[in-house]
Amino acid sequence: MSALRSYRLLVTWQARRMKMFLPLGIVVQALFSFGIVAGYPLLFPAMDRTTILYLASGGPAVSLITVGLVAVPQLVSQARTEGTLDYMRTLPILRVVYLLADMTVWLVVVVPGVAFAVVVAAIRFGLDLHVSPLVVPAVLLVVLTATSVGYAMASLLPPLVAQMASQILVVFILMFSPLNFPADRLPDWLAAIHRVLPIQAMGEVMRGTLAPDAFPLTLGAVALLAAWCVATFAASSLVLTRRA
Amino acid sequence: MLLEVREVTKRYDRRAAPANDGISLSVEAGQVYGLLGHNGAGKTTLVNQIVGLRKPDSGAIHIDGHDAVASPGFARRMCSIQPQAQVPINGLSPRQAIETLGGLRGGESASVRRRTAELLGALELGEWSEMDGARLSGGVKRLVSFCMAAVVPGRLVILDEPTNDVDPVRRRVLWAQVRALADDGSAVLLVTHNVIEAERSVDRLAILEHGRVLTEGTPADLKAGVADDLRLELVLEPGAEAPEPPLFGSSFVATANRVVATVPAALGGEAAMWAQNLRRNGRVEEYSLAPATLEDAYVALVGAATQTDISEEETNVRAA
Repeated sequence: MSALRSYRLLVTWQARRMKMFLPLGIVVQALFSFGIVAGYPLLFPAMDRTTILYLASGGPAVSLITVGLVAVPQLVSQARTEGTLDYMRTLPILRVVYLLADMTVWLVVVVPGVAFAVVVAAIRFGLDLHVSPLVVPAVLLVVLTATSVGYAMASLLPPLVAQMASQILVVFILMFSPLNFPADRLPDWLAAIHRVLPIQAMGEVMRGTLAPDAFPLTLGAVALLAAWCVATFAASSLVLTRRA
Repeated sequence: MLLEVREVTKRYDRRAAPANDGISLSVEAGQVYGLLGHNGAGKTTLVNQIVGLRKPDSGAIHIDGHDAVASPGFARRMCSIQPQAQVPINGLSPRQAIETLGGLRGGESASVRRRTAELLGALELGEWSEMDGARLSGGVKRLVSFCMAAVVPGRLVILDEPTNDVDPVRRRVLWAQVRALADDGSAVLLVTHNVIEAERSVDRLAILEHGRVLTEGTPADLKAGVADDLRLELVLEPGAEAPEPPLFGSSFVATANRVVATVPAALGGEAAMWAQNLRRNGRVEEYSLAPATLEDAYVALVGAATQTDISEEETNVRAA
């Protein structure tokens, strides 16, 4: 049976399973990005152009990352607990295809919110963003990596631990990750951690393509993301195949 | 043999008793094979190893001559399974869920649609076929998950407690569909604790107890052990206490308003008089004396631990 056909069927299956959640997820994502772009200026009324650009590009990045690292582990843990994941594992489909189909549905959830946030930011701050066409592969890479990490968390950790870890991650991503502010404001030790974790690189890749005039897109960030993506995708796929 | 299980042992915890302890059995194409046993006897563990969700510690599993332990991917292509847990299909209608599964199992679109309609019709699910899965009752969900296993059946079809929550009328049509799967050439492995239904539906069966095969054979083979016994069943008057066990009975099990005793056939006359007496005294509403069933053989083998379970099921079936 062709991988393409199972991919198509699985995407439809997952989209239908999530059809109540999909519109809600899209709205929540849009509001989330909007909240960051419109809310931060209330905290800091006087902002220079760099700060504004950080917010305009950081909002969409936060939105992409939280779906992968927070929503995915929660829903996958739930699927594990209720037995859906084991049922899927009894079907004659490739694990990679199953993962990719699931991630496709997540992509549909996050992308409208990101686009909306960028537009809001441009209008709110009167920005003239020259968005690079590379934003398309950048979003794909960030979403794929974030959902892969989320999947790996949910696959490797016990369900309850995965759900709690994802809650704590929200605060870590929102407040202690250099997405809405430059990394040099962090204490050295935290900055060092972020040089290895994928969160900062996700922010850099998004910034480097949403506002390429102000931020460089470094090969280092792309390479780090790619490494995380491959490693966590392989781990999730391995766990899905594992027979205890 | 389509399915060959040889000396399969599986232990989850080194300190605990093994969940499967040297299980051997084989199932032919065209056969409905029952796997019976109380909760925790090791039935689902065995199923999970056959479909490649778990790996045996030792022993071999062959499906159609291929080593299923070495190639779980092959096992998944060969098997379609109705798991014991409900498959959540929230957001999908039964028709969508069954058709999608048919596609994922490699069925050609037009024939999947035809087969789905046929199954929905046969199991009288028409009125629910377009309803959202979240709104379906437990019994209907169970039937839908059977259809998902039967729409493009594997050479081996595994059904784990397919009749749970299903109403008595639809149970009968479900059994007819199970038989049809075997008649079409699949081997059917049927996991159940419902002995009464199994007696009517399976060609062969194995009874598992503490991870071992206690006995194996046709229902008639297993009943041979109780061939000279009769089954005396009393339905008590509401509020009446169960009578003292009579001296002639070899087993005696009382549940809420029902007593089942096994009686040697030679003492049938005495047993009938005893029961008739109870009835005359207004303690028993009705009674029956009949040849012992597979259930009696099962109870004799496994003990009375599962009796409550069986009687509940039985009440449901008899109500039909």
